[in-house]
Amino acid sequence: MYRLILKMAWKNSFIRLSRTLLVIIMIAVSMSMMLGLEGIYDGMVNNMVDKNRRSDSGDISIFAKDYRVNRDLIYRIKNAHEIKNEIQNMDGVEAVVLRIRADGLLSTARKSSFASVIGIDLNEEERFGKFSEFLKEGTVDLQKQGAIIGIELAKTLKVRVGSKIIFSTQDGSGEINSIALYIRAIVQTTNIALDNSAIFIDIGQLHKFLGTTSTEATQISIRGNGEGLYGELKAKYPNLDVKSFLELQPMIKQMQDLMVIFNSVTFFIVMSVVFVGIFGVMYVSILDRIREFGIMLSVGMHYKYIRLQIFFEALFVGLIGYLSGAVLGAVILVYLKNKGIDLSSFSDALEMWGYESTIHGTIKLSYFTTTFASIITASLFSILIPLRKIKKLNPIEVIKADK
Amino acid sequence: MFKLALKNTLFYKGRSITTAVLTFVSTILFILFISLQDGSHNSMLENSLKIYTGAIEIYHKNYRDVGGNEYLIQDAKAITDKLAKIDAIEAFSARYETYGLFSSKEYSAASMVAGIEPNRERVLSSLESALKEGKFLDENSKNCIYMGAELVKKLKLGIGDEVAFVGGASDDSFAADIFKLCGVFKTGLFEFDSSASFVSRSYFDELMNGYNKASYITIKLKNIDDADIVNSQIIKVLDDEKLESLTWKTLMKSMVEMMEIDSIFGYISLSLFLVVIFFVIMIYGFINISSRIKEFGVLRSIGLSKKNIFLLLFYEIFILSTISVIFATPIAAYICYYYNINPVVIKGIAEMYKDYGVVSDEIPFNFDMFTIFWNVAVVYILNFLSILYPYLYINSFKPIEATRHV
Repeated sequence: MYRLILKMAWKNSFIRLSRTLLVIIMIAVSMSMMLGLEGIYDGMVNNMVDKNRRSDSGDISIFAKDYRVNRDLIYRIKNAHEIKNEIQNMDGVEAVVLRIRADGLLSTARKSSFASVIGIDLNEEERFGKFSEFLKEGTVDLQKQGAIIGIELAKTLKVRVGSKIIFSTQDGSGEINSIALYIRAIVQTTNIALDNSAIFIDIGQLHKFLGTTSTEATQISIRGNGEGLYGELKAKYPNLDVKSFLELQPMIKQMQDLMVIFNSVTFFIVMSVVFVGIFGVMYVSILDRIREFGIMLSVGMHYKYIRLQIFFEALFVGLIGYLSGAVLGAVILVYLKNKGIDLSSFSDALEMWGYESTIHGTIKLSYFTTTFASIITASLFSILIPLRKIKKLNPIEVIKADK
Repeated sequence: MFKLALKNTLFYKGRSITTAVLTFVSTILFILFISLQDGSHNSMLENSLKIYTGAIEIYHKNYRDVGGNEYLIQDAKAITDKLAKIDAIEAFSARYETYGLFSSKEYSAASMVAGIEPNRERVLSSLESALKEGKFLDENSKNCIYMGAELVKKLKLGIGDEVAFVGGASDDSFAADIFKLCGVFKTGLFEFDSSASFVSRSYFDELMNGYNKASYITIKLKNIDDADIVNSQIIKVLDDEKLESLTWKTLMKSMVEMMEIDSIFGYISLSLFLVVIFFVIMIYGFINISSRIKEFGVLRSIGLSKKNIFLLLFYEIFILSTISVIFATPIAAYICYYYNINPVVIKGIAEMYKDYGVVSDEIPFNFDMFTIFWNVAVVYILNFLSILYPYLYINSFKPIEATRHV
């Protein structure tokens, strides 16, 4: 019996081929567009999150109290090296780096701009966030007064690899001091603050220039995935300012939240409209066959079998629409992930605002599962009203009717 | 034919209501979305232009690309005399900008210092209205400095405190002086507030040896929409190959480009809604027409041409679209108008997006009749396109065949 119902449902689903195809195309097109949009928007934010983590704050950063407010070298962590060793031995910690930073004036022979010099250990940064992947031009090398400059700062100062620059700032003892540097590389971290104003030099050299010791740092950045790590660090270092990634980057947190809201609203509106489309087709499809259902009831077929048949019809249409949309969506997502959208004609603007000129999408299983649940739900809900109509049918009257 | 179409729309209520409701929703959604998008973009641009950047700025060629004292404008007065003759210009001023290091008793910070003409700046920019503490500059302010709030915070200065400055003068010599903090401004533009300070030109010229020199001349127009026309006029009047006159579109290229990208993504997002709605309208139109094949067969048999049938379908969708648009447009336009005057306020958004040049928590909608008009036109076009497939479907039947269709 069930086999027969399935067979009938399958055949009836395509009895009006054009109509069913239109619904399938509607589901497929809207679903694939939605998947593509979700993928690209999430990709933009994820890329920003990933690069901000790798280039700057990690998952957790530690500063001396008041450093983030005053951004002054006075507020540095004196025993940073010791703390680093302690943290490295904690569970869930993947990498720890020390950085020292000072704000000042960066000048060429022709132009000047305010900038921040950041002392880094290249080997450690490579382990921490694959620093070399940020390279846009030149070679990652900080030997012999070498410096690596943020892409926007390089544009502001009109400098290239090989250019000489002078950085002036107040050193650890409060004196104004200057250092000559040679640009070895230009990097794009997509962290606006770094791209706009950072020059990276060897941490040892910066300590020497600023008159600080190698055990000191203004920032300790930690990468780790232990959930309790943040709490542990906060408890362990109450006299320091322990901040999580999202505390340091509230804008990214808000961007993520906005993206979730936007995707949810888009999803809801699109699914509502898709529901209206499926409902229209299912309703008319059932009304067209009202005599057929009347006859089926007259010959003794129970209502529950008719309900099951219609249920399967809706399921088939929804499922085929979903599968077509999923395949099309997957193709779009794979393309967006691998090739991305090339917006290099807007590269100046994108780089300035912290994006790469080619925007890559991301793929999440949840895109497909939530869409599956929604489309199947919409398909099944669309038959509720037509089913009520059939339930109230008087078989004799329906058979007598013209149509 | 129009009468027949009208009767049909009244007869097939289900299809008519669905089409009208969906068109109503898409019209409102479209108008509000574009209005919000344009409004927020305009607001960002206006705020940035209001704060410091001019609608047009005149530079010595290479000053922006190469930089250096040899690319300063050497005879600013000759240029400003010519500008005074152009009616469309409301105000102009020659600015001298340089970078240097400021040091308070304990702290140092790098900053841009600009020599400005205070009286002219009152009209040109919002520097005076951004005053937070102390007072704005005047022509006799001498060594008074007007500094951004974030920079003041960095240097831990108070009104009346002295701050030492070291920089380079226009003749490449060292320039050093002690300024007195007379005023603090806060524009909301984070980078600007943390890196800019101003001194009256009458004093600054002496320090920088910058008499009659300028980094650039900034211009405010009576109507910013005339920027391109006035710019052509300026280029003609100046008639100097060594100079370049640039409108805000070039000066704020990155921001303009970013807004274009934002618009592109906005349109893509919106297109998702419109495509889905288009499909549903088409499906309902198709279902409706599928049930009227016999009717169309009869109409064709009694002499109506394919063109007449198309016209009938066109009138039907036109009537439904027009009814929706008549209701949707005034509602959407009123919402746009209301939020144009009373912008939506999202507390904390300026602080959150300060790196992106957002200076206000207010997000105004844009109220522009032309934009509303083209939004409505797009909805009409989409609805008209939705009848193409149903029309082709009907035409696939021969009249006799259609009359027998069950």
